[in-house]
Amino acid sequence: MGDLLVQPLSWGSFFTFVMMAVLFLLLILAMVTYAIYFERKILGYMQLRPGPNRTGKFGLLQTVADVLKLLIKEDTIPQKADRPLFRIAPMISFVPSFVVLATIPYSENLYFADLDIGVLYYVALSAISTIGIVLGGWSSNNKYALLGGARSAAQLISYAIPLVISAVSIVMLSGTMNLRGIVEGQAGWIWQWNFIPQIVAFVVFVIAAVAELNRAPFDLPEAESELVAGYMVEYSGFRYAFYMLAEYVYLIAMSALITTLFLGGWHAPAPFLSFIPGIIWFIIKFCCVVFFIIWLRGTMPRLRTDQLMSLGWKVLLPLSLANIFITAIIIEIIKAVNG
Amino acid sequence: MTIRTEELLLNVGPQHPSTHGVFRIVVKIDGEVIKEATPVMGYLHRGTEKLAENLNYTQIIPYTDRMDYVSAMTNNYVLVSAVEKLMQLEIPERAEYLRVIVMELQRIASHLVWWGTYLLDVGAMSPFLYAFRDREIIIDLFNEICGARLTYFYMRVGGVKWDAPDGWIEKVRDFIPHMRERLKVYDDLVSGNEIFLSRIKGVGRYDAQTAIDYGLSGANLRCTGVARDLRKDAPYSIYDRFEFDIPTRSEGDCHARYLVRVEEIKESLRILEQAVEQFPEGPVMAKIPRVLRPPEGEVYSRVESPRGEIGCYIVSRGKDSPYRLKFRRPSFVNLQILPKILVGESITNLVTILGATDIVVGEVDA
Amino acid sequence: MKGLVKGLGVTFRNMMKKNITYKYPDEPIQMPNRFRGVQHFEPEKCIVCNQCARICPTDCISLTGMKNPDPESKVKLVIDTFDLNFEICILCDLCTEVCPTEAIVMTNNFELSTYSRDDLFKDKEWLAANNTNVREENNVSLLKAKKGGAS
Repeated sequence: MGDLLVQPLSWGSFFTFVMMAVLFLLLILAMVTYAIYFERKILGYMQLRPGPNRTGKFGLLQTVADVLKLLIKEDTIPQKADRPLFRIAPMISFVPSFVVLATIPYSENLYFADLDIGVLYYVALSAISTIGIVLGGWSSNNKYALLGGARSAAQLISYAIPLVISAVSIVMLSGTMNLRGIVEGQAGWIWQWNFIPQIVAFVVFVIAAVAELNRAPFDLPEAESELVAGYMVEYSGFRYAFYMLAEYVYLIAMSALITTLFLGGWHAPAPFLSFIPGIIWFIIKFCCVVFFIIWLRGTMPRLRTDQLMSLGWKVLLPLSLANIFITAIIIEIIKAVNG
Repeated sequence: MTIRTEELLLNVGPQHPSTHGVFRIVVKIDGEVIKEATPVMGYLHRGTEKLAENLNYTQIIPYTDRMDYVSAMTNNYVLVSAVEKLMQLEIPERAEYLRVIVMELQRIASHLVWWGTYLLDVGAMSPFLYAFRDREIIIDLFNEICGARLTYFYMRVGGVKWDAPDGWIEKVRDFIPHMRERLKVYDDLVSGNEIFLSRIKGVGRYDAQTAIDYGLSGANLRCTGVARDLRKDAPYSIYDRFEFDIPTRSEGDCHARYLVRVEEIKESLRILEQAVEQFPEGPVMAKIPRVLRPPEGEVYSRVESPRGEIGCYIVSRGKDSPYRLKFRRPSFVNLQILPKILVGESITNLVTILGATDIVVGEVDA
Repeated sequence: MKGLVKGLGVTFRNMMKKNITYKYPDEPIQMPNRFRGVQHFEPEKCIVCNQCARICPTDCISLTGMKNPDPESKVKLVIDTFDLNFEICILCDLCTEVCPTEAIVMTNNFELSTYSRDDLFKDKEWLAANNTNVREENNVSLLKAKKGGAS
């Protein structure tokens, strides 16, 4: 893939790029289908019940049935709603979450774009999906949706900051913003992966990532028991499917980023295990992160808005800033000791 | 340009996942702070008290099942004990013990429902299913003894309808240590959870004088330090034979109500242990006339239900159906404190406070 | 933090346990014998005393009798029509409690759903045919008479 990127653009390579992007989109859609299925199954097992097990063998076709049902529903738009915004909002939510998947290196040879500013590109694009949520809340012309959208905007912006700052300390440690470079800096054994030297950044990043994804325990914008689906309350049918799709693709993208930044990307835990291809290791680590996020959802109650805000600004932000300073000091000390 | 802010009139409507039934609260909010809250009830009114004027006393008992459907045995008991007081009947020993065992099991089941749904309101999904798993054991016990899972119709004037089948008392005896272990699991899952504690500590606080002024009862009163439980203060049935404590807390917030109810489950298990040990032989129904005609007069009988003090007031004119029947329902009275303590709280705390008050809308509306 | 970690441990351990869901409707549920399900009616035993219709709290039983065509037997009336309106029957089993001949008894069947409200009006033939899973103990006073004294 790397050599295809550095060649000058011709019709052949253009069509290859388009085909690969389309194939990847279809693959991601399939992964989302099964991510939803596994979430429901795992939550079911944690709650002593089987989860979906009727449609298809073991319930594997459950999400397909759900999506089909959503597609054939009537497309209702409230009369006083702001029509253009109502239509665009799910798209604005979905597009950034899919686009950032291009920057992540899945294995040594499988990547779509080798950007030298990978981390910056990722973070900048993921902030755009906030607009989709706010627009959805506003254009629905519904008080519950407005409350949900306003809460969500506050939450997403507040937690984007600790997210970025803990990513900055990783960039300092690896010396590059290129995601492939960051992964290559974690080669070797499991204790050389970034989550051990940067344990504080890891914890802060995971908490901020769960908050960015609007998932429990930070799922106040879509609190089912209070605001009855928050900003999505007026969306039905295919538009609702779009919001759900955006949420799960973003879950996949965020887990992939955590794997890349902290868990060593495609590297094996020990050098003698590297006969197993890198993509398998990536998938295993990625599945562990997704499982952990689902596990959190099944256990934790929800945080209230003011507690959420004070957690973000008063705890996570100072921790990540302190982490940067300590990392900088340690890097200077190591540089002074070594040479 | 001047900016004008308005208060938002929000309808926490009759259809809402957290209002525990069809119940509506109209709130005026300024941002996220509630300025005024007005509960609106009556969506589940079925006219029980009026219907009772045309029915036999035995025919009214199924209607009481459906009032507070989460703790139906206590409702049965309050009506039956009122008629028995009026007719001055002697209840056989075994019937009294069966009644106490069944009412304490019902208290545990009702508190389990409250626990599961309260945690669901606060956001955690799994405790709901664990609580219902344990409640299922109790419901199966009730199914074996009286033939129904929710609307039992078990008590009759003069005793209970069915005797316990073989092996039933042993099953109740085995349930007690099982439930004690499960309470430890629930503690691990929830009571130490920092997110949960920060959600409910200090929320919805009121003091003892306010609680007494508004006529609260049950855990809503005991959380402020007033140790008042009808089983100890005005003992009915054979509760004076058992040793148990009244759990009280003094903070008066939602966390105190949570702890009081969890402690009540433990105390109910203590009463169950003693009742199962002392269980005598004998008949389960007193000799009553075929047609029940209580003498003329009025009676008020009250019982400690899981929600508070439930009372039944009967005016009888000597016929086989009452002239006037009135139920003093605890959820209806406990709701009165909502407009006072909701002012100044945020919308999220509305759900927390409403959940801690433990209302059942079937009982609010009767 | 410790409380959170303990909570995570509880859900993880529960994930490893077997699930407790009943596999209904693939496997039928056995209700205990005292379960109050749909009624079963035996027309031969009915003496048209009207007790069940009088005691019903919701007035869902309506019945008519006719003179017994058999002049020899002691029973004066036999049952002609017997209708139970299951839209309002609350399955309280008062009718079985007062029936002196145990003509109406309860079964343990609970599956009563239909696609149309007309089917919920059950008549004598349907109730007579509903004879699976019949409950053994129905009328407590007759039960005591059988067992002889206090139970």
